[in-house]
Amino acid sequence: MSLPVIESLGLTKTYRMGSQQVQALAGVDVHIQQGEFIAVMGPSGSGKSTFMNMLGCLDSPSSGEIRIQGENVTHLSAAELARIRNRYIGFVFQQFNLLPRTTALDNVLLPLLYRKDHDGNQDFATECLRRVGLEQRMDHHPSQLSGGQQQRVAIARALVNQPAVVLADEPTGALDTETGLEIMQLFQQLNQEGKTIVLVTHEPEVAAFASRQLIFRDGRLQSDKQVKAESASEHLARYRTQKQQEGLA
Amino acid sequence: MKWWMLCKVAWVALQVNLMRSILTMLGIIIGVAAVIIMLALGAGAQHEVDQQIKNLGGNVFVVFARGRASSGARGASGSVQTLTEMDAEAIEQQIPQVSVAAPTIWANAQVIYGNMNWAPSVRGVDNRIFPAQNWQLAQGREFSAAELSSAGRVAIIGATVQRELFGASDPIGQTIRVDRTPVTVIGVLEAKGQNTQGNDQDDLIFMPLDTVRKRIAGMTLASPRAVRSLIVQVADERDMELVEQEMEALLRQRMRTTGTDAPFQIRNLSEMVETRARTMQIFNGLLAAVASVSLLVGGIGIMNIMLVSVTERTREIGLRMAVGAEPGDIMRQFLIEAMLLCSLGGTLGLSIAVLVTRSLEKFAGFTAIIQPEVVLLSIGFSALIGIFFGYYPARKASQLQPIDALRHE
Repeated sequence: MSLPVIESLGLTKTYRMGSQQVQALAGVDVHIQQGEFIAVMGPSGSGKSTFMNMLGCLDSPSSGEIRIQGENVTHLSAAELARIRNRYIGFVFQQFNLLPRTTALDNVLLPLLYRKDHDGNQDFATECLRRVGLEQRMDHHPSQLSGGQQQRVAIARALVNQPAVVLADEPTGALDTETGLEIMQLFQQLNQEGKTIVLVTHEPEVAAFASRQLIFRDGRLQSDKQVKAESASEHLARYRTQKQQEGLA
Repeated sequence: MKWWMLCKVAWVALQVNLMRSILTMLGIIIGVAAVIIMLALGAGAQHEVDQQIKNLGGNVFVVFARGRASSGARGASGSVQTLTEMDAEAIEQQIPQVSVAAPTIWANAQVIYGNMNWAPSVRGVDNRIFPAQNWQLAQGREFSAAELSSAGRVAIIGATVQRELFGASDPIGQTIRVDRTPVTVIGVLEAKGQNTQGNDQDDLIFMPLDTVRKRIAGMTLASPRAVRSLIVQVADERDMELVEQEMEALLRQRMRTTGTDAPFQIRNLSEMVETRARTMQIFNGLLAAVASVSLLVGGIGIMNIMLVSVTERTREIGLRMAVGAEPGDIMRQFLIEAMLLCSLGGTLGLSIAVLVTRSLEKFAGFTAIIQPEVVLLSIGFSALIGIFFGYYPARKASQLQPIDALRHE
């Protein structure tokens, strides 16, 4: 087995809420290989979000380790963690988190601006927007784009730094069913092109598009299984046919 | 992130809340404008005072004849003439520190040329007035010995009188009437402009002492050689006090008075002017201090708005951190925003100050000098205020935890 892209070893996280100690994570070992499409599931309070934040180097564990391509990043400073996120992680959020009054292209360029060695070349950012099907809308501001288009801009932004892993936190949570399916179709295509994707969701229908499911409960990994992924394209086609028939009826 | 990108980001952020940015800048605008205007007026006043002291002839005393007390009621200053031309000569000869003592008589008279008429101050003088008060001739010549000894009908006119009576034409050799006496213009004085009291110093006519005494009526003279004042110039400024004491003693001796009630009065004009100037400077300094307070208040306004901005944009900060902004990047972003606000405010304040001082000069007759170092100082100072008051909010932004910032509602 090759070196995991990202892995957690004995990961624990304890919060202090008043006088009470809350254990959000209690020893989680996960190894993620290059090219996997993983769905992280579990009820709220199960620790799945805490786990994602630590994979994304947004939060640091109480004990245990996070390793990215074999390198332990647990005890790095805030500035060093920022550089790690910039290099290895692409984020997609439920609320898109695009900068308002900033064009789609500039939004996609944002991670590159924080890279010291970036030469200001926009070609790859343009390429990423083309990949998500928005080459016609590079100069649009987020307010001029639909929810689905905004999420596509966010996905292009997550791709622009050629990350080791794309972390998506409920990416379809703010979208209608059809647009959500379109976004999942895009994720599946990206995965087929070799991108490693970790997706947090509480919807089993969305998780079904991943090929590996991690289920959290009470801060522990309850199950970790490989599954046969359903095709988002087929679901989308079926959904559209159904909608058309309803419209005719 | 590169500096110019940071500036662009800051510029966009300021435009997003345009109204708020302008209101925030207002404090800095008013503060900078007020400081520059106050300093400009102060510098202008100082300049005028320097000019006037120079015009006065630097180290000059004026000795006025004072009405002698008779049966308890004293006449107006100069109503009875106790000073004479001989006193001037005695001062010159017996006090070696005095370079020149010029006797003068003054009167008011109507001056007529053709269909123009004007009422300048008429001074009876001899040629010693020129060194004593630093007068230069723009045209013509001084009085001749014959004109002085025989009450010659000649006059040297000030620049204002020339302008009012002659306009652009050449006054030399022309005959004007002073009250009923026709006199010939033999010279024109170089202009001195206004003094600090706003009086026109060029609105006068010089004529020989005797001419004024004999031909311009209305004077009660105690002696045929009486004068109304002596203008005494001291060679070295450091001897002023000594000369004043010696002059007092000499004049008392000559007039045979001993009491506190001397029939003359010695005034140091440049001292008066300087006292006035000092008062004005203190006043201007106070105003500038008040203006600086408004600059400080403006700075606090900047801090307040920057804190609001950091809170409002917490999610944006979180996002920037998530995609790779280091704490230093966030800090620089907000610092530059505060500095940009302040520098823009400072520049606008400077423009307003220039406009206001220009119009004060044009419409209110003030002299205002905006010194280049004041401009640099105030713009630099406002940028510094940006750094100082922007530091705390910027630091607060940079110390946010990315995960908390992203979750912020």
